[in-house]
Amino acid sequence: MTFEIERMTFEIEIDGRPRSVSVERAGPDRYRLTIDGRAHVVNAARVGSFGYSLLLDGETSTSREVHVAPGGAPGEFLVNLDGRVVAVTVNGRRARRGSRDAAGTAAGEQRVVAPMPGRIVKVLVGPGDEVAARQGVVVVEAMKMENELRAQRSGRVREVSVAPGASVEAGRVLVVLE
Amino acid sequence: MDIPTVAVYSDADRDARHVREADQAIHIGPSEAVRSYLKIDSILDAVRRSGADAIHPGYGFLAENAAFARACRDAGLTFIGPSPEAIALMGSKTAARGVAIRAGVPVVPGTEQPFDALTPDEDIVRKAGEIGYPIVVKAVAGGGGKGMRVVTDAAELSSAVRTARSEAGAAFGDTSIYLERRLARPRHIEIQLLGDRFGTVIPFVERECSIQRRHQKVVEESPSMAVSPELRRKMADAAAAVARTVQYTNAGTIEFLVDEDGSFYFLEMNTRLQVEHPVTEMVTRLDLVKWQIRIARGERLDVDPERALTPQGHAIECRIYAEDPDQGFMPSPGLIREITPAAGPGIRDDSGVTAGFKVPVFYDSLIAKLVAWGASRDEAIARMSRALVEYKVLGIRTTIPFFLWLMKQPEYRAGQFDTTYLDNLLNERRGTTFSELSGRDEEIVTLAAALDAYLRASGDAAGSITRTAGSQWQQAARREALRG
Repeated sequence: MTFEIERMTFEIEIDGRPRSVSVERAGPDRYRLTIDGRAHVVNAARVGSFGYSLLLDGETSTSREVHVAPGGAPGEFLVNLDGRVVAVTVNGRRARRGSRDAAGTAAGEQRVVAPMPGRIVKVLVGPGDEVAARQGVVVVEAMKMENELRAQRSGRVREVSVAPGASVEAGRVLVVLE
Repeated sequence: MDIPTVAVYSDADRDARHVREADQAIHIGPSEAVRSYLKIDSILDAVRRSGADAIHPGYGFLAENAAFARACRDAGLTFIGPSPEAIALMGSKTAARGVAIRAGVPVVPGTEQPFDALTPDEDIVRKAGEIGYPIVVKAVAGGGGKGMRVVTDAAELSSAVRTARSEAGAAFGDTSIYLERRLARPRHIEIQLLGDRFGTVIPFVERECSIQRRHQKVVEESPSMAVSPELRRKMADAAAAVARTVQYTNAGTIEFLVDEDGSFYFLEMNTRLQVEHPVTEMVTRLDLVKWQIRIARGERLDVDPERALTPQGHAIECRIYAEDPDQGFMPSPGLIREITPAAGPGIRDDSGVTAGFKVPVFYDSLIAKLVAWGASRDEAIARMSRALVEYKVLGIRTTIPFFLWLMKQPEYRAGQFDTTYLDNLLNERRGTTFSELSGRDEEIVTLAAALDAYLRASGDAAGSITRTAGSQWQQAARREALRG
């Protein structure tokens, strides 16, 4: 059996922290992954359509099951490890460079968008306000519940583009922070 | 019981699990609940078309709607629940308080008469002053925490009344409100009961429902750590007295607030099966839904009262919602790409979704109820924690990481909590993630994401490496054999 040896490098971002990982095949079901200059040889087998059974640490074989399912946004994945779920962006900066999509995080800017169709109940900030990371900015009613949308990072409000009572579609930009 | 079933469904629920599992399924309208699940005519029409002779209203939608129960009776159908008269009477929170008082059961100090839309604010403020702050403004037609506001002083009262009225008007079509004293640190403990048509009422061991987020139950268990056998008997007797006062039939639940000193107060009655009924079934090994049907058929209730009141072990239920706990529990509707429920000894999964189902934006986002039973509470918590790790819902966010975190909290483990516990704790955390990763775990997540990206980029994410499922092993073996 032959394996095409091809090395690829990805930028994997968790919670705003990007790390560069290069991947290449190292044999049947085996992959060499290098993070921050450290190489790991991983034995991987599929579990269902999105999961991997990973055996790490060589001889001692730590066994972990991880699922990587596409999330809502392009390039975003929800990774499930032992009941915990983390959003991971793959090649996010590369994809974002020069483009500003709806969820846009072009340099320094942050947009709070409606995650689903709903009605604006309250706007908690005004232009010029300083907001802390995870501070609530808008309350949207959807699925019979009121939901507080929060800022991902701290910043200053540049624009508020909705008023209480407004109906919004999913993806509509509500507040822009800089 | 060998009874064929008929499901009704809206546009959004064509792919829903209840549709697939029923013997017949009838479309009743568009996705918006007011044009389908809340439309009495459409449901009765579906009954006629299907030839069904009884209706189980479940929980939610029309389950506590007296007009619906009456329409079923008028159409000659068996409504699997209490009489329309009992639903109407206990559905009015102020009338229900009156019933409890007549039955000799203590109620939380508050108003005996509702304030309708025309009541001037001055009257409400005066009454509130008599009861004493802090006070809770509640919708007369309320339930599920809607139309409910806590007020700590007179200055906030008018605006709280306004918001409670507007929520209640939207949710229940009735803007009437009433006032109740807010107990400092109460537990929410409730008594399930069954009543038959011959006047027998059987109360069950209590359910502890104090783990609430914004007045909505998220974890329930049975029995309660705060209830002694003596208190259990007293609460059960009080609940049965309330039910007998209204000649109650079928399944119902009396909710109480229990103070730190063990005194208890009637809160309200739910005239239907409740979301959390599985914990009672697990500790009594009785099938409540089966009994609902038997009672509706006119059978005599012959449950041993001692068995109903004596918990065997301990059961906990976690309500798994399609919500993102890391974003203030914001709804997370969308496509479920894959779902692997938990199983094993003591685990029960009551779920309503399957892979490929799109959780709709139109309804409550409860997707599954995970129940763990153990010989002791500690064992139930251990099994629940293990089951939460096993339970995989891919494609959307769920409250599973939150429950895993909660099961580790020392106050929860010690059973030391009241209805204010969870909201206070969540406020203190201020949005810290529930999916905390150690450095090692973060590395594993990073490796997995990179590996996945690599396999997708090579165009063979699904094919090139061995699958662990049996059938895939076989396919891989066949492929190998072909390659020779």
